[in-house]
Amino acid sequence: MDLTYSPDDRAFRSRTRAWFERHRPRPLETLEDRRAWHRTLYEGGYVGMGWPREFGGQDARPLEQAIVAEEIARANVPGTINGLGIGIVGPTLIAHGTENQKRRYLRKILAAEELWCQLYSEPDAGSDLASLKTTARREGDGYVVNGQKVWTSQAAIANFGVLLARTDASVAKHAGISYFVLDMHAPGVEVRPLTQITGSADFSEVFFTDVRVPAENLIGDEGQGWTLAQTTLGFERGGNLLARVTRHRSVLQQLIVAAGHLRPDGTPALEQSLVRQKLGQMFAELEVLRYAGLRALSRLEKGQRPGPESSVDKLYYSEMDKRHHELIQEILGPYGQLTEGLASELTLDTTTSLGVPADWTYSYLYSRAGTIYAGSSEIQKNIIGERVLGLPREPRADRVAPTTARSNGSATGKGA
Amino acid sequence: MDFDFTREQVMLRDVTREVLARESPTIAVRRWMEDDRGYDPELWHRLAETGLLGIAVDEAHGGQGLGMVELALVLDEMGRGAYPGPYFASSVLAAGLLMDCGDATPQGLYLTGLADGSLVGTVAISDDGLSWGPSGVTLSAQADGDEFVLAGAKRFVPWAHVADVILVAARTRRDEDPTHGITVFAVERGAPGVTVVPHRSIDRTSRSADVSFDGARLGRESIVRDLDMGWPLVELTLARAAIGASADMLGAARRCLQMSVEYAKIRQQFGQPIGAFQAIKHMCADMLLEVENSHAATYYAAWALAAGAPDARLAASVAKSYVNEGARKVCGSAVQLHGGIGFTWDYDLHLYFKRAKGLEPLYGNTEFHREQIVRAALDAAAIPVLA
Repeated sequence: MDLTYSPDDRAFRSRTRAWFERHRPRPLETLEDRRAWHRTLYEGGYVGMGWPREFGGQDARPLEQAIVAEEIARANVPGTINGLGIGIVGPTLIAHGTENQKRRYLRKILAAEELWCQLYSEPDAGSDLASLKTTARREGDGYVVNGQKVWTSQAAIANFGVLLARTDASVAKHAGISYFVLDMHAPGVEVRPLTQITGSADFSEVFFTDVRVPAENLIGDEGQGWTLAQTTLGFERGGNLLARVTRHRSVLQQLIVAAGHLRPDGTPALEQSLVRQKLGQMFAELEVLRYAGLRALSRLEKGQRPGPESSVDKLYYSEMDKRHHELIQEILGPYGQLTEGLASELTLDTTTSLGVPADWTYSYLYSRAGTIYAGSSEIQKNIIGERVLGLPREPRADRVAPTTARSNGSATGKGA
Repeated sequence: MDFDFTREQVMLRDVTREVLARESPTIAVRRWMEDDRGYDPELWHRLAETGLLGIAVDEAHGGQGLGMVELALVLDEMGRGAYPGPYFASSVLAAGLLMDCGDATPQGLYLTGLADGSLVGTVAISDDGLSWGPSGVTLSAQADGDEFVLAGAKRFVPWAHVADVILVAARTRRDEDPTHGITVFAVERGAPGVTVVPHRSIDRTSRSADVSFDGARLGRESIVRDLDMGWPLVELTLARAAIGASADMLGAARRCLQMSVEYAKIRQQFGQPIGAFQAIKHMCADMLLEVENSHAATYYAAWALAAGAPDARLAASVAKSYVNEGARKVCGSAVQLHGGIGFTWDYDLHLYFKRAKGLEPLYGNTEFHREQIVRAALDAAAIPVLA
């Protein structure tokens, strides 16, 4: 066991921190502002660091990626605007795309010249994603797509989406799915933004009516879509936990400031033992997340791919976030619910993991999303129970396949 | 950046597991639970031969010169096996305090014996208030010529009834700053005026006793290190105790999880293994989460203490407060998951359930450690990792 950072890593952190002190974004009001900030990050070498060099990355180690993610969180600035493109689409193309596909898309993902979304979830296919109904019918030298997706983050600004669609209804549900690149501006694609419980509209419904997709937009082989989607190919997973810790710690530190000003019974809340107990619990749970993050990072540094045990971390941080925002609301009382008119010493200034500016109310509401997106807590517990602990699968009504093919996947998450 | 154990550490864990599995199966554990002394002296000597008793003792005194990570690994196994014996008291607390003190006299008197198993030691910290902070040390040690007269009592002293030497924190001077005026004395078995009354509590695998002092007289040679300046030693011992207790509770929780998963795979109801039901499966997933987090917290804290990391004390408090609740949840879920058999004396589950529960309020309960964590957070500038 050695949990210290090497001198090289410490020097890298200092350089990174200094860079973020020199480079601050202007208020990011428009899409162009966000693209411009992304380009600044890209030119600084802080986007797609984990990608192979030949595709514009730096082959950076997980630890270096973690340090950058932490420093971005520490500087309280937004990260990339193309998180899905950088984290999921690019790595998938690098692993499974044709030379043409790589040449066509990768550079523009890195530079955020083209933004991406993930067209996975459907109204009747959430946790049970493999039961999706959107079809891609072969016709001439391409496909015709019909159906509907939902909860698609960034759909309204995306140029392309990665689409899971059914190409063969005659085989087991997992086996009939294919993985496509879909032009979000093609005729027949309609995006209808959905307002979330936070009041903002970061996700959308997407409708497809006879959308023509050229055959060259198929990634991998027909019927391979489920496997591609299941393979979590991210090169960028090193730093997520530690960056979350950094961002969350800043929230708790601002809570301490607020609790010093609130005087519910004439004495500062910060001096009341009930409040201190809650704070102590939150800082302890957050430190435990940091230790778990170091442990995950140590595995990645040894070249171990994140397996089903990463479900434990996802379950923990998302449930923790929810629990903490409930405790925070208990401490702040009705002040925690104000969306306007909160005294400045009581305010929260942070950004969510998606780079959206957040106050107490937004953070409280947004915390409800974490235990739903990317595989709900219940799905994570199934994965942990079945794939880590080896417990028997639950009886399922959909195990009998339309053909002799047997399905082999468990239900998985969707990217919200 | 490496969170994994070294090969030597893995070997140490395996040797401990093997010795306990062979020499201390639960049938033996249950026998010693009925014994007044409470542990097997032959196994104690076997642990000494294996080098386990002197893990944290330096080589000059016959030990291995290792640190907190190795102690935690052994305690993890001892919790997992509900090992009944004074290892925690003697090899972790007493040997640890003597190693820290840098005082050649008590080291020369006791360390070799603690490492070779000829002596059993313990540490007496808490008084009636059970506060675990410096102001909680109230046992009075009044100077009288060249001697000190002790009057008062220490509570919940681990394995005091079998200890040859008890390292006692006493108050030699009242001071505005409660960290001043605390002195550690080495009190040997049978000293006049010292009475040891063993407790009987739900966990019969880790014993404790009240130690009362009624005019006991100790000479200056009994002082460990410095008069009035003993608090840093006690504080360090408390950190070690908190981490060690976390490791022991973690081991008990690991065992409960393992038994639960095995049971959920074979127990059939409604025509299928109960582990196929989400109600049970999700309970097991929650248990694994608590075990994994408790592992991360315990070993981070053990490493931080061994490495002298600036957040070592914070990490000890994080570990103890987290594992207190985590282990209780895991062991409680295990009883629930097993149903009636889990509530049955002859089934072993309750050994671990009680083992974890017994350590929960000691060396700082959850509330005590959360308060320490808040103080650290308010003083974040002093701790780089929080800054």
